[in-house]
Amino acid sequence: MTLPDRSALSRRDYLRSLVAVGGASALAACTSEGDDVEIPSGTDDPDSLPERQHAWNDALTRDDDGNVRPPEHHVLVALSLVDDPTDEARERVEAALQELERAYEWSNEGLLFTLGYTPAYFDRFDGSLPDEVDLPEPRAVIGHVDAFDEFDALLHLASDHSQVVLEAEEGLFGEADEFNGQEIETDLMDVFERVDDHRRTGFVGPGLPAEHTDISGVPDSVPEDAPFFMGFRSGFAESQATEDRVTIEDGPFAGATTQHVESMTIQLRTWLEQDSHYQRVAKMFSPEHADEDLTGDIGEALGGSSGLTDERIEATESDARGGVVGHAQKAARAREDGDPLLLRRDFNTVDGDTPGLHFLSLQAGIEEFVRVREAMEGDDLDAPNANNGIRSYIFPNQRGNYLVPPRSLRALPAAAPDEA
Amino acid sequence: MHERDIDRRTFVRSTGATAGALALAGCAGFGADDSDENGADDSTGDDELPTPAFPEVEDPPDAVYLPTHRESMRVLEPVEAGDYTLAPMLSYPHPFWLVTGSGGEDGVQRVDPEQSGGVHLMFVVWDEETNVVLPVDTGAEIAVSLDGERVGSPQSAWPMISQEMGFHFGDNVPLEEEGTYAIEVEIPPLSVRTTGDLEGRFTESATATFEFEYDREFMLEVTDGVEYLDEAEWGEPGALEPMAHGAHADDEHGDGDGDDGDHDHDGDGHGDEHDHGDHDHHAAIPYSALPPAEAYPGTHLEPVDDSNESSSRDDGGPEADDLPRSGDAAFVATLLESDSRLADGEDYYVLVSPRTPYNRVPLADMSLRAAVERDGETVTDDATLEQTIDGEYDLHYGTSLADVRSGDSVAIQIESPPQVARHQGYETAFLEMPPIELRVP
Repeated sequence: MTLPDRSALSRRDYLRSLVAVGGASALAACTSEGDDVEIPSGTDDPDSLPERQHAWNDALTRDDDGNVRPPEHHVLVALSLVDDPTDEARERVEAALQELERAYEWSNEGLLFTLGYTPAYFDRFDGSLPDEVDLPEPRAVIGHVDAFDEFDALLHLASDHSQVVLEAEEGLFGEADEFNGQEIETDLMDVFERVDDHRRTGFVGPGLPAEHTDISGVPDSVPEDAPFFMGFRSGFAESQATEDRVTIEDGPFAGATTQHVESMTIQLRTWLEQDSHYQRVAKMFSPEHADEDLTGDIGEALGGSSGLTDERIEATESDARGGVVGHAQKAARAREDGDPLLLRRDFNTVDGDTPGLHFLSLQAGIEEFVRVREAMEGDDLDAPNANNGIRSYIFPNQRGNYLVPPRSLRALPAAAPDEA
Repeated sequence: MHERDIDRRTFVRSTGATAGALALAGCAGFGADDSDENGADDSTGDDELPTPAFPEVEDPPDAVYLPTHRESMRVLEPVEAGDYTLAPMLSYPHPFWLVTGSGGEDGVQRVDPEQSGGVHLMFVVWDEETNVVLPVDTGAEIAVSLDGERVGSPQSAWPMISQEMGFHFGDNVPLEEEGTYAIEVEIPPLSVRTTGDLEGRFTESATATFEFEYDREFMLEVTDGVEYLDEAEWGEPGALEPMAHGAHADDEHGDGDGDDGDHDHDGDGHGDEHDHGDHDHHAAIPYSALPPAEAYPGTHLEPVDDSNESSSRDDGGPEADDLPRSGDAAFVATLLESDSRLADGEDYYVLVSPRTPYNRVPLADMSLRAAVERDGETVTDDATLEQTIDGEYDLHYGTSLADVRSGDSVAIQIESPPQVARHQGYETAFLEMPPIELRVP
């Protein structure tokens, strides 16, 4: 793949493009751009890190409204096993991951990552996953999708620094010699192969989408400050599940979580150029948000909450009868005792040179994702398609389900670890 | 015949001179990079294309009104996909209006084309067996390709109504360069209740693909075909006739100059009169006209005196004039006996069929409720009228009611106006829709 043209892009846009392209030459280009950046190194003591791989929130910063600030750069590395798992392979995987942890601080300034496994991975074992783990084969859930993640594992790399995600990825696969200046001793190459067709990348943060207006399909009208393509903040503290809530509590995989990745393209031209701000707010949040102008331009007026009171959530059906219903309002119907079920770690993408979203969600079981996703879709509601939240603007095309085991079982776990 | 129906030949005669001048008011070039940089006045250089003007109508009435012009389009060969038949039509990019929610000012948004290059893509979807046009927002998905490469992101087609085309799906689709484009339309299963000959059908999604040539010839064709009405008519109550659906699917643009058959379409032109044509080898494309009021059986509910718009109007043509109106929509409301196939068990069935006042275009994606009172006492409170497409009565909203009899008053509450986008002439109507008070005679 050819590298982006440095002279045609802003520095940030160039770095983002390098992450999307990937590979050793992208890493080299990225490193020469980032010479002045000091990346904090990690720890020699693996036990000092949380047992949950998905324990990221305490390692991230928060904005003034208390919302967790996700890392800017993301890579999802799709992995396929070279051979069936052995104890030797397990040791190798664990050693390689510990090298990452030694090289990079467990934070947005360093590197956060998880390694999750598909149902297809677990199928090779004689035993089956324990009852506490709800990890079905992926299915369409709503509408149809073209592809499912049927490879074995997914490594999610996230950092505020583009060269960190690239270096980590390339170093694990023999394309770099050092992790943050430390020589690499163990890589993943004899254990995993990368599945390049399914490599996915993305970014999140204020202004980032607006830097992608060179991509066909991203109109100039993406708001300057918007952290997401659709123009609004997301991940409000109050609409996010806690890490505790999405953690599997019992059984051999206690401390694990399940992960769903839904990849989609977004129709930004119609959303940003045709709908008015009023209509976008009504469709994204609720008609009451639009009528009472609760969001501000990009959702900043909402602070740390999506502004969904019980009344607004309960009004979903009657709002739909009134012609338009909001995406957030619909999704919130699936809350349990007021608590959201999903911890979203989604990010925007221009993979395939098309604006899109990798909707990465953590939850205690996949069934909870399905329940929320169906509530989000709102097939039960009377609103016509175009005014039924944002469903007429998003086009899911790929899905995968994963188990993200606890750190102690992250290296090629058996389906029934107790028996292994 | 409706007295407000327009004799299009008159317009052609009276606007011939202005049309040419207006039609050249705008220019579009392919590959805009190397054009229009010199600051010169708009001109029609070799690589620039004319786009028709879209004049404003000042202060249009809150009702159906005559737009400034008849649109011109190229009609492609219909395509079959599963249970669906689809007729693609292409015009130049032009403004339309989106409607979201209550129909208040904020919920109506004029959409202007972002760029002059491209097409206004439209398609009508219907059932070949009954010729019923399927007028609801199913969430049809469009993907555009040029030479096998996808262009832009997929998009959902807006459900729309226009005086000429009736109910259709469409959007402006920007195109950067000339070429042969392929459009893939995926139509999901129909999500509304279907009855009669349509029951149990349209349960599978289907994909239709068609191609068209986007070039200078196309733009000239659809531009030349635009017919501007006399300016004195702009904004007057009334509607253009449905387009001549002789509209043959070939290079001849379907909206030519006073050719054939317009007279076929101004009166009782329900779908089934448009097909099996003697025209030529091309399938005819039905216009989404609902049956006239007298075609509906049962006991027709009558307007309560002075409570509705109908009594104060005299410009709607004979049929619409008799019907109760709200927001300029005409309502056929009838009570079917329990022997009707639409009624549950021993219940009656209330069928409410809102339509545009001139062309009887169905008004889809509304939310309606009915309440029945007898001698001031509530008999039925708040019954939801379910959107339904019937093989015979087409789009309507209905519910079964156990107890309703002569003398009862029936109030139809409009919770949301039709959530469909509008072409010019419909964007100020069917928005603020007060309830309709009816009586069982």
